[in-house]
Amino acid sequence: MTTVALFGNPNTGKTTLFNRLTDSYAYMGNWSGVTVEKKVGMIKNTNFAIVDLPGIYSLNPLTKDEAVATNFLLTEDQDIILDVANASQLKRNLLLSIELLEYGKPTIIALNMIDSLRKMGISYNQHILAQAFDCTVLMTNARGNKGTQELKQELLAEDPCLPATNFELPYPSSVQQAIKQAVNRLTQDYNFEPHYAKWLAIQFMNANDAVVTFAQAQELRPLLEQAPYYQAQHFEDKIYQARLAFIEATLKTAREAGTSPRVRDITAKIDRFATHPVLGLPIFIGIFYLMFKLTFDWVGTPLSDLLDAFVSGPLSTTADQWLVAIGALPFLRSLIVSGLIAGVGGVLVFMPQIFTLFACISILEDSGYMARAALVMDKLMSKVGLNGKAFIPLIIGFGCNVPGIMAARTIEQPKERLITTLISPYMSCSARLPIYSLFVAAFFAKNQAIVVLSLYFLGIVVALVLAKIYQKVFRSESESVFMIELPEYHLPQPAIIWHGTWDKGKGFIHKAGTVIFGGTVLIWLLSYFGPTGIASDIGHSFTALIGQFFLPVFAPIGLASWQAISAMLTGILAKETIGASLMVLYHTSGRTVLVASLAHMFTPLAAYSFLAFILLYIPCFATIAVIKAETGSWKWAWYSVVSSLVVAYVVSLLIFQGGLLLGLH
Amino acid sequence: MALFVNILITAAIIGLAFWQIVKVVRRSKQGKCAACDYKCEAKKMSLTAKRRPN
Repeated sequence: MTTVALFGNPNTGKTTLFNRLTDSYAYMGNWSGVTVEKKVGMIKNTNFAIVDLPGIYSLNPLTKDEAVATNFLLTEDQDIILDVANASQLKRNLLLSIELLEYGKPTIIALNMIDSLRKMGISYNQHILAQAFDCTVLMTNARGNKGTQELKQELLAEDPCLPATNFELPYPSSVQQAIKQAVNRLTQDYNFEPHYAKWLAIQFMNANDAVVTFAQAQELRPLLEQAPYYQAQHFEDKIYQARLAFIEATLKTAREAGTSPRVRDITAKIDRFATHPVLGLPIFIGIFYLMFKLTFDWVGTPLSDLLDAFVSGPLSTTADQWLVAIGALPFLRSLIVSGLIAGVGGVLVFMPQIFTLFACISILEDSGYMARAALVMDKLMSKVGLNGKAFIPLIIGFGCNVPGIMAARTIEQPKERLITTLISPYMSCSARLPIYSLFVAAFFAKNQAIVVLSLYFLGIVVALVLAKIYQKVFRSESESVFMIELPEYHLPQPAIIWHGTWDKGKGFIHKAGTVIFGGTVLIWLLSYFGPTGIASDIGHSFTALIGQFFLPVFAPIGLASWQAISAMLTGILAKETIGASLMVLYHTSGRTVLVASLAHMFTPLAAYSFLAFILLYIPCFATIAVIKAETGSWKWAWYSVVSSLVVAYVVSLLIFQGGLLLGLH
Repeated sequence: MALFVNILITAAIIGLAFWQIVKVVRRSKQGKCAACDYKCEAKKMSLTAKRRPN
């Protein structure tokens, strides 16, 4: 097995290249922080494994995910290093390339996004670069699939094998002398291979945290003893200056007179508005509004209605008739028709809406807007002790809270990371969409998009207020500075959008067959039986008893339906189950019938209060578990459960009672 | 259809449903990727990565 390690700065198109090379699809976004753990793929029909590592600016790790890349070099074996550099930002990207070349393995530098560079009217002589860096240099455009086949062939070329690089950077003589001494001792006393010893020495001088920890663990005395000297002589600065000077000189020599720039610079033009200090936020809100318009008014709902007409009409009737014909008894018919078809089928009809929302999110990701959204939110986030980087996990949470919380590990400061993890469940994930859809159709038919938009922003506002409180309690001051690559805007590619949408959406279908199915059968059982056996009337069933028991608690927030309370309890399994449970409890397999029933049980104000409660109350099992896994303690997971319940109750109470005071109903 | 068959099918559906709930709770306890129902490619690859021979 030949292992190719894929390195590069964030947002250089590494993941796209990985997908092109491995004929596979890995989740990617046109913004940094997408790859938080290494991913492995095989080049088809070969024994070449490609390892995609998180994007880094240097080998000195700042965050948990960046450490993944450095530790890979320290502890795992790799045969070839593939360094992906953004061709239009070579000066910064090549700093990492030098660190990788010094590692001494056969290295290929892929100058990716070469199309962007050409648009700027710049070109570099490939051979001069290859000579200067003593390695293979190739030009690629992974998005347009140009140069990737050549790269694949270069990797697979067995004869001649890729030679190990002998790259030597002319460091100042004091540094060179120190390197030489350290290498001599490391190779003699510790049996290190010279290349590796040299790389370790340079990284140690460069105060690389991961390497310093490694040296302490291995007790590498030649380095540890000299540490004060390296520091006193400012080796870190000298190394950086030498590298930068080398890159500048090389790029100057390699630069060729390009064609006249075709810079339309659309990106800069769009950004003048999209990242504007005043206009940025309204544009962000406008884009989300448009997204909900598409989901609820223009595309999603009409398709859902068609599906609903089929499930509640022909499917239910035919299934019932067929069950009667084969002699199924009433309880089995009830389980299948009123339980499974009504519940699971009732949730599946929301598929078009969920897929529309996911398609919109994928378009935003692929177009390059998400990075701008984080930048726009930076100002707001800094007021609550976080920065724009914390907005990335939150925005991922709009799809599903679980990967959102996992993405919080890209945040450097532990306190900021904890705060982001704790506020992530308040982001309205897609699983809440079916229940929103039901209620907005019943009570706010003319303003569906705006009501859902208000719920999403209610989630953000609650999250920010809590973050501010946590900032005071934890005494967390935002020490980290937010930096994000603003990639060029791309016209979203249908294949990438489809993959992104399917990737996110198939989880929903999978859930319908597992947890929603389980929840539906559970609620059917509880509604079919009561303390006296089979409940003749659902009002005497277990669900009614449970719901009625909690009714007084929820009355102040406007809940007068025990069905809604019982349905909410199943939401802890997965939020989609709430909709399925309501279908079962109202004995209907049709959305239209349910919508009509709901109108009798709620006022619009009570319905909004209920939706706010659903948005904010206890996270689902999977989210609770991931909070435990990421914080490393059950204490925070339980805290999240209790605090979200309290927050949900208080916010819904304010909405309902406040609304009543204002004369709403 | 005989009563027995009716009961058998009902029991099978209920059993399967409970098994799904048990699975979700168990999986949730493992945390991270395992807790999430979204079987994305990234997740599949991280599983492959764990099995990758050195």
